[in-house]
Amino acid sequence: MSGYGEDRGPCESIRDELAELALGVLSGRSRSEVLRHVESCARCAAELEQLSIVADTLVQLAPEIEPPLGFELRIAERLQEAATAHRPRRRRRASVLAVAAVVMVVFGFGLGTLTPSHNRQPALANLTSADLNSHGHVLGEVMVSAGSPAWMFMTIESGAWSGKVTCEVTLAGGKIETIGVFKLSGGYGAWGVPLTSPAAQVRSARLIAPDGTVLASAQISV
Amino acid sequence: MRKDRNRDGDEISDEALLSGMAIGDERAGLVFARRYQHRLFGLALGIVSDAALAEDIAQEAFIRIFRHAVVFDARRGSVASWTLTITRNLAIDALRVRRGVPTAPDDQMFLSLMSTERLPEDAALAADALVEVRSALADLPIDQRRAVLLAAMYGRSAAEIAHAEAIPLGTAKSRIRVGMAKLRQAVAIEEAT
Ligand SMILES: [Zn+2]
Repeated sequence: MSGYGEDRGPCESIRDELAELALGVLSGRSRSEVLRHVESCARCAAELEQLSIVADTLVQLAPEIEPPLGFELRIAERLQEAATAHRPRRRRRASVLAVAAVVMVVFGFGLGTLTPSHNRQPALANLTSADLNSHGHVLGEVMVSAGSPAWMFMTIESGAWSGKVTCEVTLAGGKIETIGVFKLSGGYGAWGVPLTSPAAQVRSARLIAPDGTVLASAQISV
Repeated sequence: MRKDRNRDGDEISDEALLSGMAIGDERAGLVFARRYQHRLFGLALGIVSDAALAEDIAQEAFIRIFRHAVVFDARRGSVASWTLTITRNLAIDALRVRRGVPTAPDDQMFLSLMSTERLPEDAALAADALVEVRSALADLPIDQRRAVLLAAMYGRSAAEIAHAEAIPLGTAKSRIRVGMAKLRQAVAIEEAT
């Protein structure tokens, strides 16, 4: 930690504007100056975080009011429109992340106990992704997250397969590991599982039909 | 948390609903909208004082939340504050388009937030950060309370507050800073207990 006198200058003038930054009403040069300082000053960053909690809480003080009649119906229609417009353009990476998030919500506690030293979302750090291909067509995406344990997330969004598929991975030394059996329905499926091997060992992943046919595969370079 | 958390009687967390929205599930969006509509509409109406405009803003906010659910970062605050901040920003933008130069608000929300009266239900929720902030806000000198609320709810910059209140810029900045510092202290005390 550096001397008090040395720190006093920049921090003092920055602190005058931290509250405005937290409230989202600081703009232009002041804003970028304060942001730049906060990036390199842990104490001001901590202060900003506290002030941001206050700002977030203030917004929640607004009174609750019953919206006009028909509000819910109109929002239902708009949501349906948005969902339909959204689907074909949806980026696969986003959906794999969503699967990861759902898995985290479901397994968050278990992971927490496995890796007490990690933060709340260990499996979402250091993601590597790869396309899941079948004869040159992209069927979905595979994502591997480094961590202990490493996790694999997979989404399959096209293809024609329905029923059980086995997912296996090939490791660096050529060893093959089965990571689980999952269900696809109408070419769609999504899941996430912890791996027994480190993420860096994973070289490829495959989906295999019950008759042994390889349905899709992905080359992974972690 | 808030009393309306389980208004639908469902046990699905906000985070799980956002995950559903992130993969394009409109039913998750609808459950979420049901859960938050009173708060979003209340905030939007409070800021713009026009029911039709407030409905448009609340609807637009839900659509944005639906579209951007995938980027929500739980480490940066609660779903409620993210959701309400999106609404606040839309309402402020709408107000600026409509009115150009902002004038001092005279709406019901502003008056009720400026009030120093304690809400009867607050006593029962003493451990809630919301209650702590509301109570600390009521304890602020009126000038600081005005400045903090104008910035927090109506997005007024220090310069706009200085102009509207006919005070020097430095005074407006210091009202915001000192007021926020006291509120921050109240939250810190609440967290420590
Ligand atoms: Zn500093």
